[in-house]
Amino acid sequence: MKKLSALLLALVMVLALTACGAKPAPTEAPTAAPTAAPTEAPTAAPTEAPTEAAAAVNTVILKEADDKMINTYTVIAVNPEAPFTDADGNAVSDVAVNTAGADALIQWLLSQEALDLADAYGVAEYGEHLFYVKDDAPVYAGEIAPATEETKVIRLSTTTSVNDSGLLGQLLPVFESAYGYTVEVQSAGTGKAIAAAKYGNADLILVHSKKQEEPFVAEGFARVVPGFDTERISFLYNYFVLCGPADDPAGAADCESVLDSFAAIADGKYTFISRGDGSGTHTKELSLWPEALGITAEAESFAGYTDWYISANTGMGACLVMAEEMDGYILTDKATFLTFSANGGVM
Amino acid sequence: MGSSLEQALNLILTADRELCSILSVTARMSLASSLLALALGVPVGIWLGAGRFRGRGALLVANRTLMGMPPVVCGLIFYLLFSGVGPLRHWKLLFTVRAMVLAQVALITPLVVGSMESFVDAIAPSVRETARGLGLGRLRTAALLGGECVYQIFSAYLLAFSRAIAEVGAVSMVGGAIAWKTNVMTTAIMQYTNRGSFSLGIALGMILMGASLVVNIAISVLQRRFGR
Repeated sequence: MKKLSALLLALVMVLALTACGAKPAPTEAPTAAPTAAPTEAPTAAPTEAPTEAAAAVNTVILKEADDKMINTYTVIAVNPEAPFTDADGNAVSDVAVNTAGADALIQWLLSQEALDLADAYGVAEYGEHLFYVKDDAPVYAGEIAPATEETKVIRLSTTTSVNDSGLLGQLLPVFESAYGYTVEVQSAGTGKAIAAAKYGNADLILVHSKKQEEPFVAEGFARVVPGFDTERISFLYNYFVLCGPADDPAGAADCESVLDSFAAIADGKYTFISRGDGSGTHTKELSLWPEALGITAEAESFAGYTDWYISANTGMGACLVMAEEMDGYILTDKATFLTFSANGGVM
Repeated sequence: MGSSLEQALNLILTADRELCSILSVTARMSLASSLLALALGVPVGIWLGAGRFRGRGALLVANRTLMGMPPVVCGLIFYLLFSGVGPLRHWKLLFTVRAMVLAQVALITPLVVGSMESFVDAIAPSVRETARGLGLGRLRTAALLGGECVYQIFSAYLLAFSRAIAEVGAVSMVGGAIAWKTNVMTTAIMQYTNRGSFSLGIALGMILMGASLVVNIAISVLQRRFGR
């Protein structure tokens, strides 16, 4: 009994050590490898081999760089004096918002250094820009306050595309190490990011849906950051792209404009994967359908189209995988699509 | 699956920094919440199981209802409580590991209570008879009963721990799945799945199952040594 428990304890410790970074002792490696390999390999190999071989992505870009599909990213600071209400609609006055931290991050994001980093992001890896700096983006050249004990944690609520494409992972560490802040990133769709801010759970938001940003500002949730003129600071853009199967049965690529492409997809009832989650991409997609169809964010509105219109209610990457599986059409931001296809359909 | 296993092994062997952070948050969160739930649940469970008093039936029904509380409902309640506009906003707990532990304790304690209660309910009559035969006082009867429960307490702990480590609905809501801070195994798997990187999700899933296995083995060994 004692021997057995000692043995098990040793096993636990070895596993814990390997998991947490200590180099495994040389004597342990040979015992660990053979036990794992034979049990897993035979079951896994036959199922995965064919898909691995045909890893090339069938989903391609059909329509891009259309003016209707411009995708603008905007940063907005949350106003601590905003008319916050709790879940029952009662007014709440003393909501804690880290305004100094939000100011510093926004000022840094608009500094020449950060704009250059964002502009160059992805060029080395994909051969093209994933994000472009807007020509009329205000460049901030003033002082940026370093972190203090009270202001050092900044809560940034943002859309999935800037996080999943790796842009924030590239930018934020530079800011954090230069000024001593810690940025806590919550990434969800634009709709959820704005909702988080309205519940007092974000100091600033980085989103991409003018339609949802404007009411947020109008209701008084936004504030003007020192050094800027407006609440909404739009500074980056890229393009949404319409993707679909390479053989393009709807002929979407040949259409005059993207609106015609969407009409063609709806006409022929070709499978279309919608984000369906209130994200910026979803909002943009809703604006591209022919008005006669009446497709909105409400489930009722597309109840008649369920044979071809798939409301997935999930992230961009998962939707792309779905489109690939179902030979469907999909609207996506270009950055996520490039990451997706560069990795052969797995992200 | 093949590539997932490779990825999982690769992540472990290279001691990926983010993976280590996720593992340590997961361990802290599930150990703290399962131990707290055990500390709260065991006394209440024994009391409910052994006691014969008015209102016991109602308490049992209430507890069994709580056992079935959907994690997302629990998460939503705590999210609204700790939210920037919620009544407990001054505690500054939203998106912290502490908030995750609190939500987990609320979810798990009823399970521990239920598991202890049904066990104690079954053995209480015979223990009481033995105690009467030996002429033991109330305190020593309780001690005798407690001694009989040790094995069951280990089982209840395993139940609590498995639930804590496997839960995703509540912790993703109150924790926010913030990298380096509140991202645990399950929420990380959710994130990877949403991004479409299923194989990395599976890889993390394998590590999660492995960790669970190790804890189960350890507790089972302890249970055999001390429980009988």
